[in-house]
Amino acid sequence: MKAKRIVTFVALAVILAAGLYAMIYAFASIPVTYDGSDTDVTALYADPSSYDVSDPDGVADIIVNTNLETTHAVNSVASVVFDYRGYDTMGESFILLTAISGSFVILRINKNKKEEDDDE
Amino acid sequence: MSKKHRKVKNVVVKCAADMFLPFSTTFGLCVILFGSMSPGGGFQGGVIVAAACLLLYLGYGYKTASKAINMEVLGTNEAVGAILYVILALCGIFLGVRFCQNVFFEGGQIGEMLSGGTITYMSYAVGYKVLTGVGFLLLLLLGLLAPDGDSEEETEGADK
Repeated sequence: MKAKRIVTFVALAVILAAGLYAMIYAFASIPVTYDGSDTDVTALYADPSSYDVSDPDGVADIIVNTNLETTHAVNSVASVVFDYRGYDTMGESFILLTAISGSFVILRINKNKKEEDDDE
Repeated sequence: MSKKHRKVKNVVVKCAADMFLPFSTTFGLCVILFGSMSPGGGFQGGVIVAAACLLLYLGYGYKTASKAINMEVLGTNEAVGAILYVILALCGIFLGVRFCQNVFFEGGQIGEMLSGGTITYMSYAVGYKVLTGVGFLLLLLLGLLAPDGDSEEETEGADK
C-alpha cells in the first residue's frame, strides 16, 4: 500500500515537473503570429475590395484576397461556414433534423400512453 | 389571495409577451436576412424566431399557442429547408465546380445583401430549417410536459 502511494506521488511530481518545463519553454520561445493589431476592421468592412492589405502581417492579406477571389463573400466566417465547410453545416442541420424526429417519435409514444392511462 | 396573485402575474406575463413578440420576431428575421453579411447567421436567427413560440406559450398558455401555430406545417417545412440547402449546395456541381461552392454571385455590388450568391440563400435555408425545427420541438415538449396548467385554470374558472 505504501509503495503504491509513493509511486503515485512520484508520477504526479514527474507530470508537474514536465508541465512546468513545457510552460517555461513555451513562454521563452513562443512564436510570433498574427494578432490583428494592424488591421483596421472598420475600413475593411466598409470597402473590402480596395483595402490596403500589403501592410499587415500576412494572414489578413491571404484571408481577404482569397475570400474575395474565390467566394465573393464579404464575411469570411460565412464563406467558411457555407462554402469551404458546407458539408459540415449540412451535417449539423441533419443532426438537428434527426434529433427532432427522434424526440418526436419518443414523446408521441409517451403521449399516447399517457392518454390511454387517463382513459382507464 | 393565491388566485388573485396568480391572476396579476398572468396579466404581467401576458403584457410582457405582447410587448416582446413583435420585437423578437423582427430581430430574428433581421438576423436571418443579414446572416451572411454580419455577425450572427441563419442558425442563430432561427432560434431567436423560434423563441416566439415560448413567448406565446408564456403569455397565452399551450392551447392558444398550439391553435395559433400549426405543428404539422412546421414539421414538414423543416424537411423543405433541408432539401433547399442540399439543392443550393448541388448548384455548384451542376455548374461544374465544387460542392457547396458559391455561384450566382453576379447579382450586384460586393457588400450588398443579395450579392453573396448561394452563400446567402444557403444561410436563409438553414435559418428556415432551424426556425421550423426548433419551433416544432418547443411546441412538442410543451405539449407533452406542461399542458396541464392551462386546463387547471380553465376548470377553476368553470367552478367559479
